[in-house]
Amino acid sequence: MTWISKAITLFGAVLLGHACYSAQEHSALQSFKAATATLTSSSLAVASLPVDIAIETVIAITVILFGLVLGTRPLRPIQWRVWAGKIEREGEEGFMDNDGEVNKDFVGNPFKFLETRPGFVDIRKQRKEFASWVKTSSTQ
Amino acid sequence: MSAEREFQIVPIVQEAVVHNSRTLLNLQSLTASLFGVGAGILGLESYSGFLFYVVCSLLTAMLFYVVRVAPTSLASDANGGGGAFDTSRYFRSQVEFWTGGLMNGLAGFILTWTLFYGLVRA
Repeated sequence: MTWISKAITLFGAVLLGHACYSAQEHSALQSFKAATATLTSSSLAVASLPVDIAIETVIAITVILFGLVLGTRPLRPIQWRVWAGKIEREGEEGFMDNDGEVNKDFVGNPFKFLETRPGFVDIRKQRKEFASWVKTSSTQ
Repeated sequence: MSAEREFQIVPIVQEAVVHNSRTLLNLQSLTASLFGVGAGILGLESYSGFLFYVVCSLLTAMLFYVVRVAPTSLASDANGGGGAFDTSRYFRSQVEFWTGGLMNGLAGFILTWTLFYGLVRA
């Protein structure tokens, strides 16, 4: 998934670089024309940016923006109940980066301490066992 | 008092808040520099440049909403039924989500704007 956003961003960057170079060349040409126009006293050309460079710039910005937004990391729910429910339902799959790796600060199930605590202890049975152990050890 | 009470009833995961706002901040500062490059190439000056920045940062927030927030936020009924353009599943404040980019990236925007304006019209 991540290579798609990187490819889109790279394509947009190439477009933007080309537009920047074109605009720079255009302004250099305009200043050269203006310098020669004073010598030959011909009419001055308009120094505004050609419309194709403007269109290319806008398209390049849109493409890069789209690539960058696609490359952002997935968000996490901020409400505790939604967040914990997502962990319960999806586990590690819900907390992956774009590369398919689990986030480093993934803490796992927040209710683990409830599920791993020991169950109830049959204290009467243990007491009986202890009494019989005492009896057998005292008779020997 | 009531805010604290509400915080007790609906707890917030701080790590998730930090993660989300950092993701949004990264995107905003990256794209602000990008818009500066564009404004410099287009040769915008004074108010039209700032208008370009405002429009582009709103577009960024919109695109981020469509790509990252909307698919899960609209599918879940747990976000209080806020409907479209509701970001309460991932962000605490709606205003911060939609207009936070205006302040966060302004310095980077002006930096690259002036730089590329000067580079192109040398």
